[in-house]
Amino acid sequence: MLASFDGHLFWTALTSGPYWRGALTAFELTVVALATAIVIGFFAALGALSDRRRFRTVAWIYNWVFRATPTLLQLYFIWYALPQIWGVFAGHWFTPFAAAWLALSLNEGAYMSEIIRAGLLSVDPGQELAGRALGMSRTQILRKVVVPQAVRIVIPPTGNEFITLLKLTSLAFVISLHELLTAAQELAASTFQYPEPLAASLVYYLVIVSILMVVQSRLERRFSWTSQRRRRGAAVPAPAVSHDAR
Amino acid sequence: MADVVLRADGVHKSYGELEVLRDVSFEVDRGQVKVIIGPSGSGKSTLLRCLAMLEAPDSGDVYLESERLTALTDKQLAPHRSEVGMVFQRFNLFRNMTALDNVMCALVEVRRLSKREARERALEFLNRVGVADKAAQYPDELSGGQQQRVAIARALVMRPKAMLFDEPTSALDVELVREVLDVMESLAAEGMTMVVVTHELRFAHHVASSVLMMDQGRIVEEAPPEQFFSAPREERTQRFLALVE
Repeated sequence: MLASFDGHLFWTALTSGPYWRGALTAFELTVVALATAIVIGFFAALGALSDRRRFRTVAWIYNWVFRATPTLLQLYFIWYALPQIWGVFAGHWFTPFAAAWLALSLNEGAYMSEIIRAGLLSVDPGQELAGRALGMSRTQILRKVVVPQAVRIVIPPTGNEFITLLKLTSLAFVISLHELLTAAQELAASTFQYPEPLAASLVYYLVIVSILMVVQSRLERRFSWTSQRRRRGAAVPAPAVSHDAR
Repeated sequence: MADVVLRADGVHKSYGELEVLRDVSFEVDRGQVKVIIGPSGSGKSTLLRCLAMLEAPDSGDVYLESERLTALTDKQLAPHRSEVGMVFQRFNLFRNMTALDNVMCALVEVRRLSKREARERALEFLNRVGVADKAAQYPDELSGGQQQRVAIARALVMRPKAMLFDEPTSALDVELVREVLDVMESLAAEGMTMVVVTHELRFAHHVASSVLMMDQGRIVEEAPPEQFFSAPREERTQRFLALVE
């Protein structure tokens, strides 16, 4: 029985400015943090796979620290402790958004490094050998051969990480970032009603994740190496040379 | 001295405790085809990889024409590697690229040719090995024989001074072996300098200038094919041939 669910309040919440802005903030934070985490994770993965012990050690310590400690604690540390340790972070530029970006990027980068490492290892070493035999440098082989193939392996787990990260942005509530949970909390506090404000924020999370799922399946299709699927995706013009139909 | 293209001089190579090459000296003259046979683990592939500069010998020297490759650093070696073509047992095509892109890739990346020029040349070489109609296909869509021919075109397009083949037909279905051997035979007929590790004794018989037997990291015997197959001197060669034939 939904005796006390106020449809009007729910709709008002759903279409209100704080919710929109909160959802946008959550989405933006997820996108920039994930993008940064992919860059950090890529270099951490190269470090972990390096021939040089020094790089392996640095990658290992980074990975260990950020996976072994709670995300919420990292967020607190970066928002409250970091400015006291390092004056640069005491400035006005260091907003809750910037702090959450930094914390979530570093945290997520550790997980991404494991995912990317697995992706790089999935490319059979014979192709690297062939590239070297052709006179290509290691960087050229990485850029042209290994990374494009690793991407395909990395996309599905990265979709998972996007979802995890999106939900983690609600933690930034505690460092007064105005995201979706803030909007719900404020509305609930002023109306003394919980079901409608919280339900409205659920809807936003569902919508954002649905958008992601569409983007992910498109990406996966783009990174599959057959001429057939490429043509169906119409991303690439049909090849000039004929081939048999399959 | 004859016109030597590739030469190994007293090469040693170990992996940990395992001695894979023990004092191997070997050379191939311009236009010669040398076939290396021997049991697995005898060091054939390692010798090829040392000649292709993919492995550095622990001691001894490798020369490409007059250049002492073992004196160069890894960075200096990179451009020289493309002067020796290498064909692998498992083809090792780049799976994210079409046949055409596989052949073009190093022309653009290493030789810095324009895309258009590289495409033209790549198509010419795909045509030469008879797979021009597969230019737009990805490796996963090709048969083993077609993949290996693309791999040969990819090495040839760099206009190497020598071609090295590491068991190029061992991973192929029986009925696809011929199409690859045909390409190799026509290369030999055109005067390409080749070193071929293979178990295809008929190919060795017809095409080789000389045949080498390797065992336990050493070259046991080298002779012209007629003599090698009809009257091998070494007992080890006789035993091996008896098992293979």
